[in-house]
Formats: sequence, C-alpha cells, structure tokens
Amino acid sequence: MTGTAHRSGPVVWARHNLFRSPVDALLTVVFGAVSVWLLYKTLSFIFVTGRWDIIRVNLRLLMIGRFPEAHELRLVVTVICLAAWGGFLAGFIRARQIRSGRISDNDVSITSRGADIAARLWLPAVVVLLLLLLSSTAGPWIMVGLAIAAAVVGRLIGPFAGRPKLGPAGTAVVYAGLGAVPVALYFYVVTAVGFDDWGGFMLNLFLAVCAIVLCFPLGILLALGRRSTLPLVRLVCTSYIELVRGAPLFVLLLLANVALGFFVPDSLAPSTSTRAIVVFTLFTAAYMAEIIRGGLQSVPRGQLEAAKAVGLSPARQTGYIVLPQALRNVIPAQIGQLISLFKDTTLAGIAMGLFELLNVSTAIPAQEQFRGQGLIGETITFAALMFWTVAFTMSRESQRLERRLGVGDR
Amino acid sequence: MTEPEVFADATAMRGTGAAMIELEHVDKFFGDFQALRDINLKVAAQEVVVVIGPSGSGKSTMIRCINRLEEHDGGRIVVDGTELSNDIRNIQEIRRETGMVFQSFNLFPHLSVLDNITLAPRKVRKMPKAKAEELGMELLEMVKIPEQAGKYPGQLSGGQQQRVAIARSLAMKPKVMLFDEPTSALDPEMINEVLDTMKELASSGMTMIVVTHEMGFAREVADRVVFMADGQIVEVGTPEHFFENPTEDRTKLFLSQIL
Repeated sequence: MTGTAHRSGPVVWARHNLFRSPVDALLTVVFGAVSVWLLYKTLSFIFVTGRWDIIRVNLRLLMIGRFPEAHELRLVVTVICLAAWGGFLAGFIRARQIRSGRISDNDVSITSRGADIAARLWLPAVVVLLLLLLSSTAGPWIMVGLAIAAAVVGRLIGPFAGRPKLGPAGTAVVYAGLGAVPVALYFYVVTAVGFDDWGGFMLNLFLAVCAIVLCFPLGILLALGRRSTLPLVRLVCTSYIELVRGAPLFVLLLLANVALGFFVPDSLAPSTSTRAIVVFTLFTAAYMAEIIRGGLQSVPRGQLEAAKAVGLSPARQTGYIVLPQALRNVIPAQIGQLISLFKDTTLAGIAMGLFELLNVSTAIPAQEQFRGQGLIGETITFAALMFWTVAFTMSRESQRLERRLGVGDR
Repeated sequence: MTEPEVFADATAMRGTGAAMIELEHVDKFFGDFQALRDINLKVAAQEVVVVIGPSGSGKSTMIRCINRLEEHDGGRIVVDGTELSNDIRNIQEIRRETGMVFQSFNLFPHLSVLDNITLAPRKVRKMPKAKAEELGMELLEMVKIPEQAGKYPGQLSGGQQQRVAIARSLAMKPKVMLFDEPTSALDPEMINEVLDTMKELASSGMTMIVVTHEMGFAREVADRVVFMADGQIVEVGTPEHFFENPTEDRTKLFLSQIL
C-alpha cells in the first residue's frame, strides 16, 4: 500500500489535518458539531425566524433619525456631491502620483483595476444593495444611482486637474478648494436642520469622521510635544495625555453633557452633537498621541542624525524624515484606534441622549406595532451589521495602505 | 624619497592655505566619562586626514562634534572660519558646509534614491526640482549607480547604499566631508567599491576627515594619520612615518595588534 501515502485529495487532506491523532479527531468532531449548530441557528434566524419588517418599516429612522422630511433633499444633494468629490479626489491624487513618478501608469490593465476595485468595495456595495432592497420607495435607488454616476464623472475629471504642473500656490489653491467642499456641504445641511435633529447611522458616521479628521493632527502635536525639549510644553502635553487616558470615555461624555451647564449658560452652550465631537476628538487624540509617540521612538536615531547632517532645519527633520516613518510604522495601531472611535460613537447615544443608530435600535422594538414581540435581536443585529461593514472596510483599507507604503522596506 | 615627516604638533598642517577645520582644546564628557581630552587639530583645505585608534578612543565622537551631532563641553571648533556656537542658525550653517557619511548609511528608507539625494538641496538650498534632479543624476553617475535612481534604499546592496549616502552628502556641495567608519558595516566584497569612491573624492581635492580601520586606505590616500587612544590624540604623522616608524609605545602596541 505504498501508493496511498502520496495520493492527495479531500480524504487524505482531512486525515492529515483533522484526524491525525485521537485528540485531533475528538476536537474536530466537537467543534464541527458546535459550528454546524451555530451556523444552523444563525441561518434560521436570518432566513426563517427573524422578523425583518421592523427594519423595513423603520429604515429611515435607523439611517437618518428624525431628520425632517422637508429638508431631505439637502441630504440627497450632499451625498451626490460627496460622491463626486471623492471620485475627483481619487483621480486628482492618482494623476499627481503618476506625474511625480511615484506610481507608474501603464502596467495596470483595465481588468486588474476592475478586480482591485471589486475586491475593495464588494462588501459596502452588498450592504448598500441590501438597504436599497429594504427601502420601500424609489428615492434611495435614484440617489445611489446618481451618486455612482457622480463619482465616476468626478474620477474622470480629476486627472485633468492633477496632470498639469500647478506649482506650490496652485497646489495650495486646489487643496483648499477640495477641503472647502465638505465644509460647505456641512453648512448647507446644518443651516436647514440643526445639528441636534440629525440622527441614525448618519450621525454615527458624521461624529466619527469629524473626530477622526480633528484628532489626527492634535494627536501628532501632542506626541511631538511630549518629546519636546521645552519642559513646559512637555509637562502640558504629558499631563493632558495622562489625564484624558485615565478617564472612561463614557464619564467624559456624561461630564460634557451635564457639567458644561455649570460653567456656560444654556444659550451659549454648544449643541449636544458638537460636544460629542469635542469629547471624541480630545479623547482619541490622547490615545493617538501615545501610538504616534511609539512610532517616533521606532525611528532609528541615525535617521535624525542623517537629517541633521544634510542641513535640514529641526522642523524639516521632523516633517520630512522622522514623522513620515513614524506614522507609517504604526498604521495598524492608528487605524485600530480610529475603528474603536467609530464604534464608540454609540456611547453618545446612551450618555448624551443622541438619537444615533444604537439608540434607535433599542427604541424601536417599543413602538406600538412591535411592542412585546421581543424584536430587539433583529434591530441590534442590523446595527451590528452596519458597524461591522464600515469597521471591516476601514481595516482592509488600512492593510492596503500598509502594503502600498511598505515599498521602501523591501 | 624624502624623510618621513613627523608632526610633534597636531596643528601643524600639511596642506596649503588656511585651515578648513580647527579644533582647539576640545573636551567632551558623557556624564562622568571624558570622551575627548584637550583635542587640538587643524585640517587644511584639500587635506585628507585619517583617524585611527582602538574602539572607544573617541574617534567618532571627535568628528561628530565637528557638525554638532555631539556638543563639545570645552574648547572651540571652527569650520571654514565659522565658530560653532549654540545658535541653531550657526549650527545649520556649519552643517550645510559639512557632509557626513555614517557607518550604517542612514539613508531615508521612505524616499527613493534620487529623492534621498535631492531632498536637502531642494529644501535647504532652495534649488528647483529639475535642477536638483540633474545634480542628483550627475552624482549617481559619479558613484557609478545611475540606474538605481528610482529604487528605494532597501532594494540596494550595502556598498550601493553607502555610495548613495556619499552622493547624498555631496549634493549639498560641502567644503568638508566627514566619514565615520564608512566601510565597517559592509560585507568584505563591497568595501573596495566604497573606498574607490572615496579615493576619487580625495583626488578631486575634497577636504576629508576619515575614521576608519582600513589601513590600506590610510597608507594610500591620507596626507596625515591621526592616532587616538583614551580620548586623546597620541600621535600624528604622514602614513610613512606612522606605519614604518611610529614614536609612541601606544601606537606601536596598536599597530602590532592589527597588522
């Protein structure tokens, strides 16, 4: 029977990997049974016992909360503009990278580009399709269709702005213009509907994006400040980081909600959502600072010495040599912190009463038509799917970023 | 053949013209440990000085003081007429005129080879990008690896990396080049390509201070050899004097150990 040992196939594979010893066999059988049972229960919940009409009926509430219907068009316009903006930005940046020789233009075929985009976007695309199928009107379909079209148009126009030589002033103007677009859209929406009437998953996303954009530069400054040669700067940054990291986020949110009233009259106090953004920003910045400090310490001493020796000024030593390497070295930890921030936006629902996705999910099973039917499993599952989709996409994009920036290491 | 020249005084220069580098009574402490003791050395323009000595003798510390990677605690250091002070602008000025090549290359791993070379000329000398890249390619031609311009340092061999590091320093058009054991981290078969580049540089008239264990290089290229031990300059002389007829016992002991 010498031939059997060299044969491959499912039976041989299973014997080799699953049933090599009696203990292996026992573990395989036990965990196999548990897995099958869990899978069966999950599938039967999703396809048989789950009553998903509570999601269908409340889809609007889950996604945008109590946003007034009269101003909904502003959200639609915003989504489409953001899609165009995102497409433009992608095309613009890519064209500039090609022009500076950082990536090459010709070695990528249409099919592999398509496969790349599909690999990156299939999960959000599937979830968006699911949401569209759950919606009972044509509006969302039209919006998504227009948004995709806008993104494609933006992507096609972007390279025309990125290809010509702009010079420092021109570049500054283009980036300022690109930065102004989301800010303008924010005011376009917020002048019609006050911040505190925003809600649903949209609010989670908005809180997270604002806090991410703001906490990143603040975290860098704190990290650099903690390593400063000026004792006062070092003391302030270190105290801030240690103070904030010592407090639970939930407590800080409660404090912002309650204690601010002691110091500021109600008429001057910022809206609850604004306070939430401030707390998320200040809290995450302290953690980012420590992550980035770790990155700064991981850059070999010789790098700074070489930067000094070629005559770069202290600001340029940091900006061109130390910081880029430090940030690259800690991408996984940074993205992990930002994912954590994104999920923590649910705390603003309980601590501050914001009507974000989790708050909506726990509230709607108490609606008259669903009361007493125990549908919280369905609503929480939906919320979990939403958060997981975005968090998982962030995680995958971070791995992609790591691979792309890792070029110089090999 | 002329008589081997002996320099009783390290400040007696061999080259012509004014001193490019002057060290006078320089002391340096690391905590309680005195790394440099009363160092006196003058290096003339276009002179090549090779510094040798056992490890821990202060060779690297001495040249690292010249461009202020280490701060000296006593005495004065003058580079091309500018005395090194605590003023950052003064330090920057001296660093612009002084190139340094490190034992571990210290190339910037996140920048391409060409960007490594052009960064300082562009940002410090405000050279336009096209002109800086032209200069960068000329320097890569000089160190004989123009085809590596677009690669990243991690993709190059040690010898190639060190040659890029030399090109990077030269891009600032320095008046002085400091070499801190440039071949010590290299595989044996790559040492010569780096030494050849340095020889070429020396024959082009560059003022150089080279800390090295390569005695062949010292013999062939040095105008003067400086021997250091325990933070002091023990003996200075021409290579002929130094290798064939050293006066100090400490020098003789060292040479007997390495040759």
